[in-house]
Amino acid sequence: MGCSSSLPANNAGGVGTINNENSASDPKNLRVKLVLLGDSGVGKSCIVLRFVRGQFDPTSKVTVGASFLSQTLALEDSTTVKFEIWDTAGQERYAALAPLYYRGAGAAIVVYDITSPESFNKAQYWVKELQKHGSPDMIMALVGNKADLHDNRSVSSQDAQDYAERNNMFFIETSAKTADNINQLFEEIAKRLPRPTLS
Amino acid sequence: MESPTSPASRLDFYDFIGRMRRPAAADLFHSIRRSIRLSLRPHLLLALAPCPEWPCGSNSDLRFNYCSFLVSLSQGEPNAEEDGGRVQTFFAEMETAIRDHPLWARATNQEIDHALEGLEKYIMTKLFDKTFASSAEDVRTDIEISEKIGLLQHFVRPHHLDIPKILHNEAAWLLAVKELQKINSFKSPREKLICIMSCCQVINNLLLNVSMSNDRTLSGADDFLPILIYITIKANPPQLHSNLKFIQLFRRETKLISEVEYYLTNLISAKMFIVNVNGRSLSMEESVFQAHMESARFGNHISVSGTSTSSQGLGTSTTGLNQESGDTEGLRFPFMDSETESLTPAEVKQLHELYRQVVTRYTLLSKALRKLSVDEDQLLNSVDD
Repeated sequence: MGCSSSLPANNAGGVGTINNENSASDPKNLRVKLVLLGDSGVGKSCIVLRFVRGQFDPTSKVTVGASFLSQTLALEDSTTVKFEIWDTAGQERYAALAPLYYRGAGAAIVVYDITSPESFNKAQYWVKELQKHGSPDMIMALVGNKADLHDNRSVSSQDAQDYAERNNMFFIETSAKTADNINQLFEEIAKRLPRPTLS
Repeated sequence: MESPTSPASRLDFYDFIGRMRRPAAADLFHSIRRSIRLSLRPHLLLALAPCPEWPCGSNSDLRFNYCSFLVSLSQGEPNAEEDGGRVQTFFAEMETAIRDHPLWARATNQEIDHALEGLEKYIMTKLFDKTFASSAEDVRTDIEISEKIGLLQHFVRPHHLDIPKILHNEAAWLLAVKELQKINSFKSPREKLICIMSCCQVINNLLLNVSMSNDRTLSGADDFLPILIYITIKANPPQLHSNLKFIQLFRRETKLISEVEYYLTNLISAKMFIVNVNGRSLSMEESVFQAHMESARFGNHISVSGTSTSSQGLGTSTTGLNQESGDTEGLRFPFMDSETESLTPAEVKQLHELYRQVVTRYTLLSKALRKLSVDEDQLLNSVDD
């Protein structure tokens, strides 16, 4: 639909090898659970597919799907951040299930579609939810997607920016279609993540 | 000789047992024994006790250690959460003990992991009866969920859950259903989890195929979760609640992360959706939803009462109906024996509400009967007999 996607080339390996990774907390190699929230159809999974495009995590042996994806980002300070991205179903009927997904998440991306005021309202609902029930030190990003459709814009950047500032989030407009700002979004989250103190 | 050469594809618990039988393992076993005694509750130890194949071998020192924790046994009430914590502590201590031990000094991470997988399977298979669906409440919840799914199966259709037409694929769905239904064929948390992962993989493959053959963006959770819920309803997997709880409590914590945790969470949320399902969550009026549930109960009743063949089964099925209604009529229809004059305004209101329900229910039941090709009047006559 909205975004042209490249499909993963590598296939799912044996299910028998269930995740063989080292979970030791290493200050140079962070691992963070990131949850995606937003109305259905705003392009949540497009954003992630664009982010991991062509570089599906080879350590992910279990399944290939767009609902769960992981991607490692190398930062300039020579740390790496491995994002484990949890997508959620955006339809209203599934809203009550979201807490199961954002529990324990270190970061959240709340997505709306800049051509849809309803999706912006829904995004504000999710922000409130996260403030009430999410972990207090969660990094939150407000993302206006489909920025390439600016002719049909109905949510002003300024309004969204103001809202984000009032709620201690950072705000960015992206286009999963043209890949605009997609990497910037994840880099910004990575930079803001709390670093474990060396002891 | 010390470096194990077990095939990577196999979870070689026998390698682990083999090592444990060597005299060199005595000190390790000693520390394990201590941690087992400290961490496991007595009733779990009791379950572990009659295991002659416990890796003591003929080593008298180990045999002594093994016997000494049998001495500490006594009965205890099952408490799954507490047991889960203790078993997890035990697994963690075992991991440390194995990693630190000279016998595993040159073993790769994978080999150590295989030993631990073997240990988990061994321990949890032995403890299964004490830890799986161990409380009356769990048993009740399993039955409730299964009965509810049995009713939902009658009328929930893909569109109620927002599954787009393009993803309708009975063959793939059936495959996913079968994977999920395998869950009770296994006793170890890992193997149960694999059934869930396989089911999710079938769904993901479907999403992938559809996206490739239709040049459509690969679907995310907006499509995945609805399909998983639909599959769960179709599959009605046995003891869903207990299986999920068992995996959450007893799968090694270090393995319940990342992708595996994500897909497990999806099934947990499918269960939650089903437990809390109402009219609104299926985009229908609550009264319509209730009527559907009621007519599904009726439908189940007919089939439960023993219609082996639908063409000639009417007689037998109504026998069951008769008995049922005879027993509970007074409870279900409180105004049947009331005098009209003696009804209070509140009761009239209640009666009116009941009337509405009865009409809705009757309308739907008639419809259901027509669907079953049952002639309503004939059915009524046969009940009167």
